[in-house]
Amino acid sequence: MSNIAGKAYAMNVITPIRPYTAWVNKLIFWIALKFPSTLRGLITLSLIHYARWVIIGRNQFPHLDPSQPKEDLNYSYMLFFSNFNGSWDQYVDSFTFSIPDGLDMFWKWNIRYSKSVALTPFHEYIQYNQIETLHYYNAYPLAASNDIKGAKTVKDALIAFDKDAQAGTDAEFLQRYHALLRGLQHDLGDMYPTPIVTMSAYQVEKRRQWHAGKLNGGRQ
Amino acid sequence: MDNVNGNAYALTILSPIKNGFIQAEEIAYADKVRDLLQGWNMLPNSPMTRVPQTYLCRYFVLDDVYTESLPGAGALDTFSDLLPYIPDFVRRGALPKGDHLKSKYLVFSCNFHGGPSGDVDAYLRGMWNAISDRIKEVWGYCYGFEQVNDAASFARYMKKCQLTASLFFVGSNDEPLEEQLKALYLKQELAKFAVANQGLSATVLRANYRDFIKRVAPANPSAPTWTAGMYRL
Repeated sequence: MSNIAGKAYAMNVITPIRPYTAWVNKLIFWIALKFPSTLRGLITLSLIHYARWVIIGRNQFPHLDPSQPKEDLNYSYMLFFSNFNGSWDQYVDSFTFSIPDGLDMFWKWNIRYSKSVALTPFHEYIQYNQIETLHYYNAYPLAASNDIKGAKTVKDALIAFDKDAQAGTDAEFLQRYHALLRGLQHDLGDMYPTPIVTMSAYQVEKRRQWHAGKLNGGRQ
Repeated sequence: MDNVNGNAYALTILSPIKNGFIQAEEIAYADKVRDLLQGWNMLPNSPMTRVPQTYLCRYFVLDDVYTESLPGAGALDTFSDLLPYIPDFVRRGALPKGDHLKSKYLVFSCNFHGGPSGDVDAYLRGMWNAISDRIKEVWGYCYGFEQVNDAASFARYMKKCQLTASLFFVGSNDEPLEEQLKALYLKQELAKFAVANQGLSATVLRANYRDFIKRVAPANPSAPTWTAGMYRL
């Protein structure tokens, strides 16, 4: 199992919702889509790469073959997928502390939702309904979401700066260069691997060290 | 409800896994799928590195849904939990029902660059062209996959398994992956350059900058750059 890929963590949560209240949830999501200001709280959680909510009607589980038994469920289900930086606790707690109302709004109609405050029942609710990821892939395991956003700013600024880099005297260049760095203070900063970047990276590294005789019990 | 947000696409796939087991290996199909995906973790890097435009993706097996046995915060739950003198049949009636799936599902959830039109077909065809061997290996135990034999039939099959997102939130960047990787490379290199060139005269700094720009080629997304899934510097 691997919920971690570099600096990203994959969370999967599935929760039941009564079919006759699922449409209320869909309406809430639709309003959130139409009025993006309702998602302002989420945007402040800059540790999120991507997140999504999917509601599956109790009769909407894919049925592809006559030999496949048809599902016979009492409830519809809400799936939540998130990609974020940091630990499970940091993420869940940041939701609770930053947007408790938003969280309650999205999960309110789910069966036996505990509410986001107090913390302990909310932790239990998420843990109980969470599914472990088997394989998680991240195209940029060395980067956090803020690195990716910052990198775009750096790239755009550098390309713009370079257009006039050869104009003027050396002293003027230096002045502009310093201005460039000052402007990018929040976005610069180099990236390094986390101790375990991915389970595969960890295993490959372990095998490499074992073969090199650097690991206890390894080949001498 | 939409799977598209800006240029990013949220692909959610639930493929039903066949019930039954592989006799020779004495392993259930769902466990075999699980085993194969676990095996991907032991490779030098994920096969998904080869699939163009994939930002992040995950695979897991949905064995069953959960019965909510923990107390919730709703008024009815609290009422029935707290008042033991309420007749048992009333209290039992207030308890959540137990649901069970009849099939296990292979879940593939992916975020990729699909452009403003959300071209999921192009992505799925690209996925097939890049890793069809792996796809056949894993999806081969799913219902309906027998009809898949090329990129077009794979895209058709996947769209039958697709679910629509009710809300898709993009907290990151939705540019093409090669642009994002190039930007990360530039961020890393510019930070190193800034540190290494502190306190130099304007003339030397400018000359060094010229060499730097020539080396990093900011406007060229293809090289030099970071590669997808790169976990070592």
